[in-house]
Amino acid sequence: MKRSFAVVTDSTADLPNAWRERFDIEVVPLKVLFGEETFRDGVDMNNEEFFARLATSTKLPTTSAPSPGEFAEVYTRLAKDHDGCISIHIGRQLSATVESARVGAQSVEGFPVSVIDSQTVTMPMAFLCRVAAECATLDEATAAVEKRIPSCRVLALLDTLRYIEMGGRVSRAQSMIGTMLDLKPLLLVVDREIKPVDRVRTRSRAIPRMVEFFEKDMPVEHVGVVHAQAPEEAALIAADLRRRLPDLEVPVGQIGCVLGTHAGPKALGVVYIKK
Amino acid sequence: MSDERHPGVDGPLFKRALLGSLSWLSANHEEVNRLNVFPVPDGDTGTNMLLTLQSAVEDIKESNAAEVSKIAKLASHGSLMGARGNSGVILSQIFRGFARAVEGKSSLSPAELATAFEEAANAAYRAVNKPTEGTILTVAREAGRSAAAAAGSPDATVPSVIAAAAAGARAAVLKTPSQLQILRDAGVVDAGGFGLQIILEGMLKTVEESESSLANLAASRPVALPAASQVAVDLPEGGWGYCTEFLIEGTNLDLDRIKNQIEALGNSVLVVGEPELVKVHVHTDDPTRVITLAGGHGKLLKLNVGDMSTQHRRILEDASQAAGAPRSNGVGVVAVVAGKGLVEIFRGLGVDAIVEGGQTMNPSTQDMLTAIESVPYEEVVLLPNNKNVILAAKQVLGLTKKHVHVIETHSVPQGVAAVVAFRGDRSGVENIAAMKAEAERVQTIEVTHAVRDTRSNGLKVKKGDVIGLINDKLEFAGTEYGEVVNKALSKLGADSYELVTVYRGEGASDDELNQLESDIRSTHPGLEIEVQQGGQQHYPFILSVE
Repeated sequence: MKRSFAVVTDSTADLPNAWRERFDIEVVPLKVLFGEETFRDGVDMNNEEFFARLATSTKLPTTSAPSPGEFAEVYTRLAKDHDGCISIHIGRQLSATVESARVGAQSVEGFPVSVIDSQTVTMPMAFLCRVAAECATLDEATAAVEKRIPSCRVLALLDTLRYIEMGGRVSRAQSMIGTMLDLKPLLLVVDREIKPVDRVRTRSRAIPRMVEFFEKDMPVEHVGVVHAQAPEEAALIAADLRRRLPDLEVPVGQIGCVLGTHAGPKALGVVYIKK
Repeated sequence: MSDERHPGVDGPLFKRALLGSLSWLSANHEEVNRLNVFPVPDGDTGTNMLLTLQSAVEDIKESNAAEVSKIAKLASHGSLMGARGNSGVILSQIFRGFARAVEGKSSLSPAELATAFEEAANAAYRAVNKPTEGTILTVAREAGRSAAAAAGSPDATVPSVIAAAAAGARAAVLKTPSQLQILRDAGVVDAGGFGLQIILEGMLKTVEESESSLANLAASRPVALPAASQVAVDLPEGGWGYCTEFLIEGTNLDLDRIKNQIEALGNSVLVVGEPELVKVHVHTDDPTRVITLAGGHGKLLKLNVGDMSTQHRRILEDASQAAGAPRSNGVGVVAVVAGKGLVEIFRGLGVDAIVEGGQTMNPSTQDMLTAIESVPYEEVVLLPNNKNVILAAKQVLGLTKKHVHVIETHSVPQGVAAVVAFRGDRSGVENIAAMKAEAERVQTIEVTHAVRDTRSNGLKVKKGDVIGLINDKLEFAGTEYGEVVNKALSKLGADSYELVTVYRGEGASDDELNQLESDIRSTHPGLEIEVQQGGQQHYPFILSVE
């Protein structure tokens, strides 16, 4: 039975490539600005181009939310063959996208849009989209997604503190990473907050720590691995997780421009929804 | 035994004897410092013993106790609180043993005094895990034996027993090179043992009040063989950390000349007095150098390199202001660190209190105790970060109601590794285990210049050579930093490591740093290099390999 409502998200969901088609998910791009130049995330600029540019850029790029008009265009198009839409977006603490979507939705009359503040970023949003896509009705999908929002986790291992610090998302003074040493911080995005959970000096030791932390946080309903230009390490972690959790898919996704700006190159993440 | 002609050792006499020891040691401690067997600029034994003894005598000055037991008890407590470095800690245990032996006694007969000397040595042996012969322990024991033998004589007196103790100590000191290979290689006698000998001689001097016997002593003192000069220490622009005060007693003292010399070493200089007695006050970063210089003019009295505690307090206050919300696990961390950059690094990692000290200025037990008490947690992890501080750090355990864990970090890199592993949401026990494991995993390379010619660990070293130590052990000598560091990295097996953190000392120039970086990169291209401004003295570079 084909569902009658559409599923929309934004480019920060870092949707695994195959999922867009497989679950019929519509992705609205955020914008990335390098100085005067504007790019649509994942449309005008792919991840390789983005990180190459980030590495050589002296100033961090900035990102901006899609405009309400852009959302309105998407919803209007979808209204032709759907009777409603769930629109799942990056947490309000991180971007104005969810507000744009809300305003955009109001301008499309007669088309119910359930705008969701996921309170998170990257692949847990993709998991929420999948949960919605597998529901029969818009109401059911909205309830199923809202129920899972508090259980979304992003466990991120940064290779350097430089980007997150430049971006002002976490200050060095914040508890355990307040130092001039270049530590590899392990951060947990939960309850709209970024919490440092561990810190390690070298990457080879940090990865097992991340997996250990994740194991203590099990059981999970969905889990995936995200990375910024570190596909081999991400594949190894995913293979390890699949061995431990044979019933789960464990997709691997690339961290897109928006999160990538703050996490920096070589960031890795284990992302999941707790049971 | 005590009669009119041969009085026993009562409180006032023992007090005078200890004051005599202090002034004799302050006049001679620089000779003790010169006996450093290691070519590295280490914690100076003479200075450590002097500061420990000074602390032992501190409370006694005000006491009019008639009983020797009371004076001994004050000395025991004071020395324990002020214990610095390994020799200082052992000295404090000697006082402790002495105090136990004379408990309840108002005056000591010559025989009782000899017994107390022997008990003092026994207590020192018990305090050390693996007693080594050829050290201050041997000297203490031989002094006690010699005193006991003299006390057996029918016409034994207090001076004759002390004279025998001093002579026994002197003979034992001269034998130390035959007992310890490292002393033989370096061509010196044991510094701590020599310090104890001087302390006993100072007692004898006071008790006998006989100039002639002292002249003999001076003539027979073993002068340190190769007279290595002090490490040249560049004074920083901003520093002047320690308030140093003392009196110089002498003849025809030239106030202006002394003033000029002291002014070159610090600020807030005050030099006042008469040609026979001069009071000196100075804020300096290198009190040892000031004391050495002043000691050349005459006898030093009322030496006080205090006010280090004021500086500690200042740092402690800064740290507590920087601290955020209280930690959920109720565990605090105190670290011993020197160098502006390193202090910042440890503070940034969340250390609650810093005790300034380390390489050449070993903090006292009291300094560490004060820091521990200042931390708003009942459970505290203490990181000595230097092998010469560990023993003094362990003395804190018996002095506080707080639950203190000493993690035996031998170096700055070990300390950093331990603190990085500390987590505020984990229990004390879990933290200790994780911190220990991390500290043991990291490898330390320390790079400095030899302060003297020596042979050590099969290596011939010339004064001024660049020397490299791996985990406290002298492994390489050369002329270039890069050469020595690369040899050390190769020895460690650099391929199995990922990251080298270079803590740059205040003595390293930009060029030297850049050269070192490029040398490491070309020889070990697989290693990531991170440079941190450590600001430590004496060691141009400290490297952490992990």
